[in-house]
Amino acid sequence: MAAKPKYNLFQNSGFMIKMAWRHQKNVLWPVVVLAALGVGTNLIGLYTAPTILGAIQENVSVSRLLTLILLFTVGLMLVYAAREYVGLNRRFGRFELRQNILAMIQEKIMIMSYPNRDNQDVQRMLEKSYQTVNGTDKATQEIWNTFTDLLKNTAGFVIYLLLLASLNPLVIGLVLVTTLTGFFINNHLNGWGFRHRDEDADYSRKMNYLNDKASDHTIAKDIRIFGMKDWLDDVYKSTYRLYQDFVARGERIYIWADLIDVILTVARNGVAYFFIISMVLNQGLSASQFLLYFTAVGGFTSWVNGILTGVSKLYKQSLDLTALREFLEYPEVFRFEDGESLEPDKKKSYRMELKNVSFRYPGADKNTLDQINLTIEEGEKLAVVGLNGAGKTTLVKLLCGFYDPTEGAILLNGEDIRKYNRRDYYLHFSAVFQDFSLLPGTVAENIAQNFEHIDKDKLISCTAKAGMTDRIERLSKGYDTHLGNSVYEDAVELSGGETQRLMLARALYKDAPIIVLDEPTASLDPIAESDMYNKYNEFTGGRTAIYISHRLASTRFCDRIILIDGNRIAEEGTHDSLMAKGGKYAELFEIQSKYYKEGVEENE
Amino acid sequence: MSKDKKKISLREAMQLSMRGYRIWWKVNPKAFVAITLSSIINGVSPYVGIYLGARIISELAGARDKNTLTILVIVALLSAAVLSMASAGLRRWRNYHNALQFFDLRKIYADKFVSMDFRSVDNQRTQDLLYQIRQNDVMGWYGLRLLMWIYARIMYALVSIIIAAVLIIPLFVLRVPESGGRLTILNNPLFIVAIVAAMLLITLIAPVLSTKGSGYWVKFAEESKFGNRIHSFYGYYMSGGQRALDVRIYRQDKLSMKMLEHYVGFGPKSSIAKAGRGPMGGLFALSGALSQVFTGIAYVFVCLKALGGAFGIGYVAQYIGVITSLSSSVANLMEAFGDFRNNASFLRTTFELLDMPNDMYQGDLPVEKHSDIEYEIEFKNVSFRYPGQNEYALRNVSLKFDVGKRLAVVGMNGSGKTTFIKLLCRLYDPTEGEILLNGVNIRKYTYHEYMSIFPIVFQDFQLVSFSLGQNVAAKVSYNGKKAISCLDGVGFTQRLREMTEGLETSLYKDFDEGGVDISGGEAQKIALSRALYKDAAFIILDEPTAALDPIAESEVYNRMNEIVDGKTAVFISHRLSSCRFCQNIAVFHEGQLIQRGSHDELLTDSEGKYYELWNAQAQYYTA
Repeated sequence: MAAKPKYNLFQNSGFMIKMAWRHQKNVLWPVVVLAALGVGTNLIGLYTAPTILGAIQENVSVSRLLTLILLFTVGLMLVYAAREYVGLNRRFGRFELRQNILAMIQEKIMIMSYPNRDNQDVQRMLEKSYQTVNGTDKATQEIWNTFTDLLKNTAGFVIYLLLLASLNPLVIGLVLVTTLTGFFINNHLNGWGFRHRDEDADYSRKMNYLNDKASDHTIAKDIRIFGMKDWLDDVYKSTYRLYQDFVARGERIYIWADLIDVILTVARNGVAYFFIISMVLNQGLSASQFLLYFTAVGGFTSWVNGILTGVSKLYKQSLDLTALREFLEYPEVFRFEDGESLEPDKKKSYRMELKNVSFRYPGADKNTLDQINLTIEEGEKLAVVGLNGAGKTTLVKLLCGFYDPTEGAILLNGEDIRKYNRRDYYLHFSAVFQDFSLLPGTVAENIAQNFEHIDKDKLISCTAKAGMTDRIERLSKGYDTHLGNSVYEDAVELSGGETQRLMLARALYKDAPIIVLDEPTASLDPIAESDMYNKYNEFTGGRTAIYISHRLASTRFCDRIILIDGNRIAEEGTHDSLMAKGGKYAELFEIQSKYYKEGVEENE
Repeated sequence: MSKDKKKISLREAMQLSMRGYRIWWKVNPKAFVAITLSSIINGVSPYVGIYLGARIISELAGARDKNTLTILVIVALLSAAVLSMASAGLRRWRNYHNALQFFDLRKIYADKFVSMDFRSVDNQRTQDLLYQIRQNDVMGWYGLRLLMWIYARIMYALVSIIIAAVLIIPLFVLRVPESGGRLTILNNPLFIVAIVAAMLLITLIAPVLSTKGSGYWVKFAEESKFGNRIHSFYGYYMSGGQRALDVRIYRQDKLSMKMLEHYVGFGPKSSIAKAGRGPMGGLFALSGALSQVFTGIAYVFVCLKALGGAFGIGYVAQYIGVITSLSSSVANLMEAFGDFRNNASFLRTTFELLDMPNDMYQGDLPVEKHSDIEYEIEFKNVSFRYPGQNEYALRNVSLKFDVGKRLAVVGMNGSGKTTFIKLLCRLYDPTEGEILLNGVNIRKYTYHEYMSIFPIVFQDFQLVSFSLGQNVAAKVSYNGKKAISCLDGVGFTQRLREMTEGLETSLYKDFDEGGVDISGGEAQKIALSRALYKDAAFIILDEPTAALDPIAESEVYNRMNEIVDGKTAVFISHRLSSCRFCQNIAVFHEGQLIQRGSHDELLTDSEGKYYELWNAQAQYYTA
């Protein structure tokens, strides 16, 4: 790790305790109670055998012996019962707190400035943040166990130190030295796995990829038709063999740590035996006291070890938490709550303007769009055409406010959009993008984007405009049919074309003043496509609308067409004017239409 | 469902578990050896320590002979060292197998998936089962994985119990001498029986309580399944890159936060947490307390006997050590059995998937394979319904392919075009009617041989994140020249030249992080060349130009002659322009074949579907 982490161990512990204080106070008390119970169990255990042995040696009365045993037993019963009870119940609050943190991560990704998503640093921090929440053993949940252990071991250490004070200080010194040595050597050797974690992750990723492919139902057809089973198997086997070697290499190193541990333990116990037995022989200690001290030396070792392990665990968890906090605190490039607020006016038409707009993706060596000047008038229907990769979608992303131009400005009714709260700005768009996003829920919920207060009439009219009514009526539960089979077992799977229409219905339901459609007919059949073109003016109404396509047929019903080529607006006009011009547009149209024209020579 | 689960009998649990063990044995028998040996060492070790410790105490309480003590201490130290080392070595061996286990487990399911009938893979129920099995594994290793863990626990507990039993015999045999007075009552066999009975009872009850407590997890796991799914959707998938635009435009973050808050799973307000504070916690506490009563009774019996003079305090230490260890081993054994039963219901799910039958009829007729062989294929009154559906996807389709000619299959979305292809290449068998290859029902041919004569480029084709060359050949070893010529054939030449490692360039970054990303259009070209590489007499293209822009589309059309090159070809498309270079056109509507003929013939019928479809598109280009 090159740079010093932004937050240290104490700051991160404070952060987690503050989180617990704010969201789940009941996470805190089990930490203290369980530590106390841990020390309690240990102390009762330490004294039980020596006390009772001593009593027998002194030949006490039966009733006194029974009372002693009863006392210890009741003590142990209480401590064990409490440990089990608290041990079970500690997890619920911890679990929810971890989920609260996961929700914070999710919220951050969903609302963060869109360009931040492309940022490699943000992606890396996000990966690491997930690593702090995606399991009960991850930092945001496990840290409470670390706190418990540290608390318990520290308390135990202090108590045993007092207990062993009467022993030769050499013994305590030796215990400390052997334990510390063992710990650091062990830590170094066992760190092999950590140092080779990238290699480990590489193998895991590869084998998981292959196993995922095997059960993926999309590739299942290709696997069968092209007999790909052996191919996938061969690659899996060779990867698996490499992984086997990797694991074996690690274990062969770890065993040295075990060996050193054994040697140090023998040395420590040897010395402890020597000193304590000498005390018994020379200073007249009893056999039961021997047992007490010998057990105490062993116990002392484990407290020291426990503290060291706890600190190193906390250190690792603190690193993880730093990544989490850096992600959650990552600065935004857009204005949100700090921008001017803006309310879409559904009765008003909006004008959009691109002024000398250039855009270059971070890290790219040339502009995707260069010096674009474009005004979309109130209520105008604009078509944007061009080849794949020409920059059509980038233009749309700029208009919708997902990116800010590298140079120039985008204006909404004459005002630079950068000054507004970007989330308010998004409210002005009803959009269908190329990637569909269904939610697990009913058809109605997917269109309305809400689980309650759904306007039934509006729902029906938007569905009709999107040409989806027939399909929905054929579903056994109509608008209440579930979608999303990752959640609902009775979910219906819609085809690509049907999903596209559903997305359109959703855009219409939102009823925002500007409509943006990016390749909305890609999955539709000819009749549905034609139907869509015919209805276009009906459902856009008086609103400003932008239509992106590489099918030139779609542009006829728009007021104006712009052709993007060579990073700029190469041509502009109506279909007829562009055809008359005989430029790039006319050429593209010619290519597309040639197969539809009569008199094309048949092949062969 | 949860009610059924409780009713699993011990017998069935045993049977299911044994089946699971047989699977593991086949995957990795060495893992069993490693676990067994390490359990034996771990079972023995503590007793050696207890025994020698007790001898030292005896010596200290008695003669205090320096030589004896020296020898005892050396033996104790050395034996501990040897046993720890042996235990560590075996633990490493076992860890090695454990590390592999996760992948071995996934491989078991992966193997099942690639070998099962396509119709099973395509079935939502199968995917659900896999999802459930993975959830169970995540939840607590339930299913196959827990079996190995249970095996280790049982082995360890059994070894420990056997040794404890041997070491504890003298406790019952050694008698309290007459000098012990009233305490001689401890010699009475009835007393011994009573003590043993009491201890056994506690041993049995404590783990029963804790297993019953753990049973709540199983019960609520079932109940919380729905919430978990919702949570994992909004908690992970919702933030995916493909959703990023919609999330912002439709403010789905608000919705997601509401859902995440509502379906939080095992939080303090959940029913499992309520049970945890109530009866479930009570059971755990009771079981914890009871386990200590056992130790208490043992103490009473051992100490009273010692007080009566039956043995010295060295033995007291030994017996107490042994009994404590015995008590935890018995508890371990009982809990392992409890897990055994709880796990059985999860194994049912596992086997439901692994037992999915391959019930497509597998013929044994070989398919002659030369590129110059003529395959004549005919659909005869074929109807088809997807499993579990009432509606027919295809109805009474009869059609004969003309050898060496091109056929375009057109129709609206959902008209049955893709289903037709799935039947043709036997991903599904017809519900009614038959498909003939050279006059013989295709079911009679060897399945994979029959399939291999149809290279298809599906609409949702998939490439694999290995090298380009391997993707073209669909094999590890490929003929480079042939691969290049296939790529040339589809117009990939330029892009191939740009790839620094040529055919060895990895596609995508999923498998090889040094791979290159390719566009949808490029992927489509590679998929096309994969079909060409097969050199078959047939070629089937499902929407081959969907991801292409007009220029690229036109380029593919222009090359079609070269690509198809005398093969029998089938094109499925809703871009009707592709019909122009096909000699034959089949029009599907609502699952039926309604029109057939050449483009010109079909266009003369102005009432027909083809006319309607054609004009829907052509009007924009010809007007």
